[in-house]
Amino acid sequence: MFEHLINGLVLGGTYALVAMGLTLQYGIARIMNLSFGDTVIAAAFAAYVLFTALGLSPLLSLLIVVPAGFAFSYGIFSLIMRPLVRRSANSEALEVDSILATFGLLFVIQGVLLVLFGGNFTSYSYLNVPVDILGAVVALNRLSALILAAVLGGALVLLLMRTRWGLRMRAVAISASSAPLVGINVIQTSRMAFAIGGALAASGGVVISMYQTFTVTSGVVFTMKALIVVIMGGKGSLPGALAAGLILGLVETFVAAYIDPGLTLASTYLIFLALLLLRPSGLFGKAS
Amino acid sequence: MKPFLFGLLVIGLLAWAPLVLNDYGTGLLLGLTGYATLATAWAMFSGPTRYVSLATVAFFGIGAYTVAVLSETLPYPLVLVVAALIGLSVSLVVGLATLRLAGVYFVIFSFGLAELVRQTVTWYEVNVTGTLGRYIFLPLEARHIYWQLLALLVLTLLIGIYMRKSRIWLALVAVGDDEVAARHAGVDVTRTKLALFALSATIITLVGAIQAPRWTYVEPTIVFNPTISFLTLVMALLGGAGKLWGPIVGAIPLFLLFEWLSANFPNHYSIILGGIFILIVFAVPNGILARLETLGQRRKGEAQ
Amino acid sequence: MSEVLKVDGVSRRFGGLLAVNNVSFAIEPGQIVGLLGPNGSGKTTMLNMISGALKVSGGQIAFQDQLVTGLPAHKIAKRGVARTFQLVRSLPSLTLTENVLISAAYGRERLWGAAALDKVAENLALVGLEGRGDEPVADLTYIDLKRMELARAMVADPKLLLLDEWLAGLNPAELQIGVDLIRRLQQRGITILLVEHIMDAVRATCARCIVMSAGAVIADGPTDQALADPEVIRAYLGDDDA
Repeated sequence: MFEHLINGLVLGGTYALVAMGLTLQYGIARIMNLSFGDTVIAAAFAAYVLFTALGLSPLLSLLIVVPAGFAFSYGIFSLIMRPLVRRSANSEALEVDSILATFGLLFVIQGVLLVLFGGNFTSYSYLNVPVDILGAVVALNRLSALILAAVLGGALVLLLMRTRWGLRMRAVAISASSAPLVGINVIQTSRMAFAIGGALAASGGVVISMYQTFTVTSGVVFTMKALIVVIMGGKGSLPGALAAGLILGLVETFVAAYIDPGLTLASTYLIFLALLLLRPSGLFGKAS
Repeated sequence: MKPFLFGLLVIGLLAWAPLVLNDYGTGLLLGLTGYATLATAWAMFSGPTRYVSLATVAFFGIGAYTVAVLSETLPYPLVLVVAALIGLSVSLVVGLATLRLAGVYFVIFSFGLAELVRQTVTWYEVNVTGTLGRYIFLPLEARHIYWQLLALLVLTLLIGIYMRKSRIWLALVAVGDDEVAARHAGVDVTRTKLALFALSATIITLVGAIQAPRWTYVEPTIVFNPTISFLTLVMALLGGAGKLWGPIVGAIPLFLLFEWLSANFPNHYSIILGGIFILIVFAVPNGILARLETLGQRRKGEAQ
Repeated sequence: MSEVLKVDGVSRRFGGLLAVNNVSFAIEPGQIVGLLGPNGSGKTTMLNMISGALKVSGGQIAFQDQLVTGLPAHKIAKRGVARTFQLVRSLPSLTLTENVLISAAYGRERLWGAAALDKVAENLALVGLEGRGDEPVADLTYIDLKRMELARAMVADPKLLLLDEWLAGLNPAELQIGVDLIRRLQQRGITILLVEHIMDAVRATCARCIVMSAGAVIADGPTDQALADPEVIRAYLGDDDA
């Protein structure tokens, strides 16, 4: 029981971390990024390569992979998203355009990964030693994944809530059309939010690679779960993403432990649907 | 009368084609007709309402898997009916749950639906029936499958033609433009969306069911391949999802291109595909047909 | 016949804000009634509840002696309540004719084919858009869009017409055309409830006014009397001071 709770928190922490990235991209940059999960998986593969080929620990590889995720997303925004942002007459048109463009991007990233790594299940063994916490046995890699997720997520929340820069981000999230009136460069802010979202995706990928098996095609599931967490938590809400991520992780772990591991995705969907019907604006979203 | 006769002639020629074509040619025509039907059915709902559905393969797979499960216990025509009914029921449930909400929820839900159905089917097969993967032994040759698909395509187009003459088309376009205005004009927005989504999904399910015997061996990863959703979407968008003929105009060149790519660049197929798709989103946001029309108008304008 | 519209103790709450508070009034057939009040007094919320765009939080609304509280907007439209919007809602993918046709096809009459097109042409002529049915609405000017919305509302032969600041944003010449148009509708026997800020237009069209402030009705009576009510004057001037 207690063991499942900790495992659920680990999974939920990872989901929350990844979903925070997506909520930045969707809530602030207004890009619905369907290739988000594939960025996560690409980072997981990068951590795998750094670990097996160079013997670099995932903690160190964060220093390489996270900036790479930032740079990649920065580039994608400048190259693909910015023209779409410019041409779209309203946020609805941008939503559709970005969904379509990132749907294409999903296949590109997946294709590249497939060429490089093939379609097999991949994992590596790092800190795979049991630790005893109050009687429950948990692998050290899972524990460090949880701590990492908490540190990274916490740092982001502090940045957004306590700094001037964070204020600018939140202003754009609330109203992209009136932010320029107070001197905020919306495109620049959006690009930054999109890139940081990418950096979070990358960090999530590294964290996931520490304790999970993954394949080239697992990206879709991560995108899906991150989207569900974002919607559950309320678009653009970091505390919402945190709460919803933890709920999702716990539910999945308990469903896998007590019902059937094959039904975790179905249970995720069920929660999602129930929430959409009962509280369409999300746990922490404001009623429209 | 003239377009009607012309249509009959084209259908006749297409129906006659497999009698003179070799196996490869018939197979190509079969695949093309399958995608043309998928894209046309997809655009029937998503074109006017602009609700982008990424769930094509969920329904396609449901159709194919139903045939795989039932082909030995029920007569073939009945299997198709059951497949259509299952597709219809799933689409009604999904539609009822998501179509009342903003479009983006629908997109997201449809995006994951294929994965959900695939995992659920896999779970069911492993835990309940104890097998993963099934064989389909039906006495159907490629041309038989092709003829069924052709009939379904013609039916889909006829529905499309009929719809465009009836008030429902006006309601669908209005829903795509402004749901509030449509509602206050008396349109039952939710029911209209639901009906069209269910119709489109049922046709897609039937395409999967009819094409299933082409694979003699079926398992969830084969029939729930997300590339099918992707290609359908690309074709409809390239041709223009708002036009009756748009999806077919998009399907022909893209299907041939994809065939050639998968034969020549099997490893880089998905990369090229994704790249082409991004280009399409950029270059022809409203589809080739709309682009051709604006070009035509410009030329007319210049001539005057 | 009794009242066309009867609003009985209707309230609407948005979170902690009571936007409409226990409002009651009735409208007789053939009347043009002005619904006035400072910004934020709950006028548009009231229209939205009558037309089914918003659910009431409490109270009842009856249309032609039948309760319509809780009915979805499309059902209320089918019973004969038509409306225009504060910000014009056009359907940009469709032509002018089609923008009006939708309401003929799905409104009270459910017309289709030649009968519907005749009706559309007739109503386009009524609002002064004769012969322009094939134009895409994206090309229309602001006043023409307003005309289109009125034609769309009228084509369904409504029993009650709700106009939400339909005259706002028009220049003086257009305003005169608009006022004449509303009067002509009244001659056809249509009951109209209009939200308006332009007092000259209200005086020229409405025999009776209902004035709201902070969600409640503060005056209801013949236009001159209602506008001269000390509480109404206070509500408007208070608004100006703020």
